[in-house]
Amino acid sequence: MQCLAGYSLSKRYIDSDQQIQVLTDATLEVNESDLICITGQSGCGKSTLLHILGLLDSYDFGRVLVRGKEISSSMADAPKIRNSEIGFVFQFHYLVEDLTAKENVALPMIIAGQSSSIAYRHAIDLLSKLGLSDRQNRYPNQLSGGEQQRVSLARALINSPAIVLADEPTGNLDPKHSAEVWDMILKLNRERGQAFVIVTHDHKSAKLASLTYNLADGKLNLIDHDTNPSGVISS
Amino acid sequence: MRLISSKWKFSKLEQFFLLRYINAPKRNLMRFSFVFMVSGIVLSVGILSAGLNLFEGYEKSLKDVLLGSFPHISLQDANSEYFSKERADQIIQKLNKYPQIASVTPSISYAVMASNGDRVRGASLNAYDFSSGSSFPYSQYITQGSHRVNNGEAVIGKYLAKELGKGIGDSINVFYPRFDRISAMGLFSSERNFRIVGIYSSGYYENDRSHIICSLSDAEALLNINPSFSRLELRLDSEYIESASVLANAIQSDLGIDIVAYPWSIFSAGLLKLVAMEKWLIFIIFSFLVLIAGINVISAVTTIILDKKNEIAVLKTLGAKPKEVKGLIALQVGLVGFFAIIAGQVFGAGLSILVEKQGFYRLKGDVYFIDTLTATISPLNQFVIFAVAAVLVAVCIAYPLKQIDKMQIMDLLRNR
Ligand SMILES: Nc1ncnc2c1ncn2[C@@H]1O[C@H](COP(=O)(O)OP(=O)(O)OP(=O)(O)O)[C@@H](O)[C@H]1O
Ligand SMILES: [Mg+2]
Repeated sequence: MQCLAGYSLSKRYIDSDQQIQVLTDATLEVNESDLICITGQSGCGKSTLLHILGLLDSYDFGRVLVRGKEISSSMADAPKIRNSEIGFVFQFHYLVEDLTAKENVALPMIIAGQSSSIAYRHAIDLLSKLGLSDRQNRYPNQLSGGEQQRVSLARALINSPAIVLADEPTGNLDPKHSAEVWDMILKLNRERGQAFVIVTHDHKSAKLASLTYNLADGKLNLIDHDTNPSGVISS
Repeated sequence: MRLISSKWKFSKLEQFFLLRYINAPKRNLMRFSFVFMVSGIVLSVGILSAGLNLFEGYEKSLKDVLLGSFPHISLQDANSEYFSKERADQIIQKLNKYPQIASVTPSISYAVMASNGDRVRGASLNAYDFSSGSSFPYSQYITQGSHRVNNGEAVIGKYLAKELGKGIGDSINVFYPRFDRISAMGLFSSERNFRIVGIYSSGYYENDRSHIICSLSDAEALLNINPSFSRLELRLDSEYIESASVLANAIQSDLGIDIVAYPWSIFSAGLLKLVAMEKWLIFIIFSFLVLIAGINVISAVTTIILDKKNEIAVLKTLGAKPKEVKGLIALQVGLVGFFAIIAGQVFGAGLSILVEKQGFYRLKGDVYFIDTLTATISPLNQFVIFAVAAVLVAVCIAYPLKQIDKMQIMDLLRNR
């Protein structure tokens, strides 16, 4: 079943009499238990695309559907859908500095109107699954980069969203921590059937995905791992 | 605070953050960005509340002394300076049927001069019946010496005694220029010597500077009149004081046009109204101080919004509505503001008590009628101060928060 789709998305930035056409005709469909990677050169618009799909940013033309329903970031029920259907992991973790790991993870559930005790129970459960049970009462500045990114991942997962969007979740991590996070993602995808769309520069990891797209000239192109085993894109 | 909470019921998210703020005040409420806001509120609310406490105290002292040392209703003859004794007795009989009247005291009062030999001061002679069985209604103001005045004795005002350099046991000359007996030598004045037996100190400067209280027969002799009175001084039970003019009208129509009844309000109501108006004027002016302090609130809220751009973006990303995000910041700053206002009121109370207790500044009695500063901390005033300050602070919190509505998640995330 389809959980997220974007059709013919286009977006341009108008920046002091200079126009940048970032997306022209980007189309992507994500089904349940898909693990999709998006690669592309720096500045080609990967983050922009992910923000549009995550209802964080507006677009000029096209359509975004969440569980078959058309929606955009400016609609009144966008906050509710961001809360319950979409989990977002930023490149820079963006945890709330004044809240502990556990409280950060519990936030989406509390926003949904759940009591904090129930939210904490779920948060503790998730953190221990991600190997952070002894870190739950630490503040973000007392956690390593990899730990912070896993807390972000836990926060994206707590409301069991239809889809998790992650923008270079391992971009700032060393290979060891990066591998930790990827393992987590693969495990969640395998065991829970959790759908992911992940932007990454890491072609080796991208190969682990069920589908990989390359974003170039504002369009998404499917990469066939078998015909292009190196992951190098020849345009 | 009330304003904020009445607008919507706290959501789970707001409850969650409220608990965080209260449980970890050091991390959330005692931030550097709040220092100027808090000191501004404490200072301005402190000054506002001290000003109001002192003005309230002034108003109350003035009213107390006006009602305590003057007749509530005074009856005078419409055609002559004096009543005869018989006439007075008749009137007193008629007044018996008014239960509102606590006491009727016949008195003679007249402008005279007092001298210590080389200095002369204008004074007012006030004679009462001090014989046993009759009461002197102002004895509470005789702060030193005897409450009874015999023939040849007088109680004089504190400042009159000071100006003439006299004290208890000394004697003064009182004379009265008689215009009916002008001779070739000039004005003939009748003169009498009094021994000072007490000091009168009501706090009402004009009386303390001029009062000479003596017996009726001394006054009759000095003024050269037959036994008679210049007025009847009526004092009312406390619950009827405010409606003295109504009672005065009733008595007036009862006694006929030969008698004039003056309620206290004829002389003092205007003054008291003026003071009350000045008090609220001071309140309004000092409220502007709180408004100025509100600028610090606006800048504190703006700083917080800038500080927390990422947090705001994250909360929005996680599905919090703009209203909730605004609510969280309003709660945080509102809590700080709430404690700052309370602290300001406590500071103001301390300040006004300090002014009351200090010794180096006294009120000028000839300007302000009374000469001592007292502070009155009235619950109503404190409530009004709190309400006004809270509304001003709430507006100054709400105003800059409006920009959160316009902030798009991406704009917040981009300029980190
Ligand atoms: N607010 C903006 N105003 C103008 N141009 C913008 C704005 N945001 C992004 N851009 C431009 O749009 C293009 C795409 O940006 P985007 O962040 O999506 O790239 P990206 O593919 O994620 O790059 P990276 O791999 O380096 O993260 C870039 O050229 C960027 O300069
Ligand atoms: Mg990017």
